[in-house]
Amino acid sequence: MNVGAILLLILSGLLLIALHILRRKKGPRPKIRPLPAFKDLRAETGYAAESGGAVHIALGNGGLSGEDAAQSLAGLQVVKALADTAISYGTPPIITVGDPTLLILAQDILRRAYERAGAAESYDPSLVRFVAPSPVAYAAGAAYAVASENVTASMMAGTFGTEVSLIADAGARRDLPQLAAAADPRALAALYPATDRLAVGEELFAAGAQMTGDRRYLIGLLAQDVLRIILVLAILVAAGLAFLSSGRGG
Amino acid sequence: MSNLVRRWIPGLLFATLPGLVVLLGYLFSPSPAGSLPGQFVKWRDILIEWAVIVAAFAFLLGIFNILRVHGNRISRRQQGWPYSLVLLLALVLAWVPPLLPANIPARDVANRAVFDYVIAPLGAALAALVVFTLVLAAFRLLRVRRSAGAVLFLVVVAAVLLGSAPFTGLEWLADVRDWIVNVPGMAGMRGLLLGVALGTVITALRVLLTSERPHTES
Repeated sequence: MNVGAILLLILSGLLLIALHILRRKKGPRPKIRPLPAFKDLRAETGYAAESGGAVHIALGNGGLSGEDAAQSLAGLQVVKALADTAISYGTPPIITVGDPTLLILAQDILRRAYERAGAAESYDPSLVRFVAPSPVAYAAGAAYAVASENVTASMMAGTFGTEVSLIADAGARRDLPQLAAAADPRALAALYPATDRLAVGEELFAAGAQMTGDRRYLIGLLAQDVLRIILVLAILVAAGLAFLSSGRGG
Repeated sequence: MSNLVRRWIPGLLFATLPGLVVLLGYLFSPSPAGSLPGQFVKWRDILIEWAVIVAAFAFLLGIFNILRVHGNRISRRQQGWPYSLVLLLALVLAWVPPLLPANIPARDVANRAVFDYVIAPLGAALAALVVFTLVLAAFRLLRVRRSAGAVLFLVVVAAVLLGSAPFTGLEWLADVRDWIVNVPGMAGMRGLLLGVALGTVITALRVLLTSERPHTES
């Protein structure tokens, strides 16, 4: 039995439920630290659309059935937040995925955005593209989309490795504004030189809260912050106790 | 009532309940077969099997998506259509060996040949390209972002790369590299991974509590 994991889950669950009950639909919205990666993203989507091109969103190689499902869901939040804006400008985003389970959800999000805009008949499922299941082949295919299509901004949010530099390089060659959000340290090392609008590690999970301001996402982010503080304190206490006990032993 | 049916019942039935069972199956594993935790483990395995089947169907949809996207590109003679043609031909040809009868010896040979002589070398070639794009990105960084962070990044990259190479007279750089990797590098990595783990836990709990519903309108 994994006692540590059970305790962490119970603590997180209780915290999340408590915050949901306490801050639901009343009181001021929780304030969050603005992240440069997501700042004015909707407005930028608008600018990109005004210039007649589409926004490319790369969701990476993660799917919904693996350990990177949470990162994939965070990537989908970016699609959710931008779809309405992009469609209202008449320039829907081009979305590339490397896992077919994500393909279905991304298509569904786009279809619903078209329905909300009253243009369900204009929805084209091929705007969401399954490129390849292997990470490098996916990155090469997504890079080709950035390089060859009428793309005016490139966003990368989801599960990536070092191969993401292929996509970033394609964007840099065309001098496109680029935004990236990734959790894997290897991907972050590859993305850091490519863009200064980079959401690092857990900041990926802040995408929904930052871009939509939705209370559900804000509460999740708040719970994450509280848990982080608890974890830091626990590490400090454990380190202090270990130091003291080693001093006594010596 | 309609809110209950549309919003809560599908969420509870298809997200919360299976999610909890799978989670409990992992938390209480290994457990004796007849016990309640053992039942969780059993149902976890069944549910994961179902998920694998659904994911396999998703793959079929993925293939249809590829056929649609590239078929459209070929029929409309869009830019790069010959690449799409090559892709579709390769897709169809790759299906041939696995579809041959199992008693034909050429089946396994052809299957292996597709992996050994096409997929593996192409993958390796693309992976090799990543090195060049990384170096290019580092040079571009010097040009477009002259900040202290950028300089530090490049100095660390140079120190680690040189420290990994067996240059005579630069043995001390190997110690510097080891320190960078094992002390600040490892500390940063652990902090990052802890943050990601917390984000993952919260996202998973939001799905379990039906606060996150990627499959519905709300």
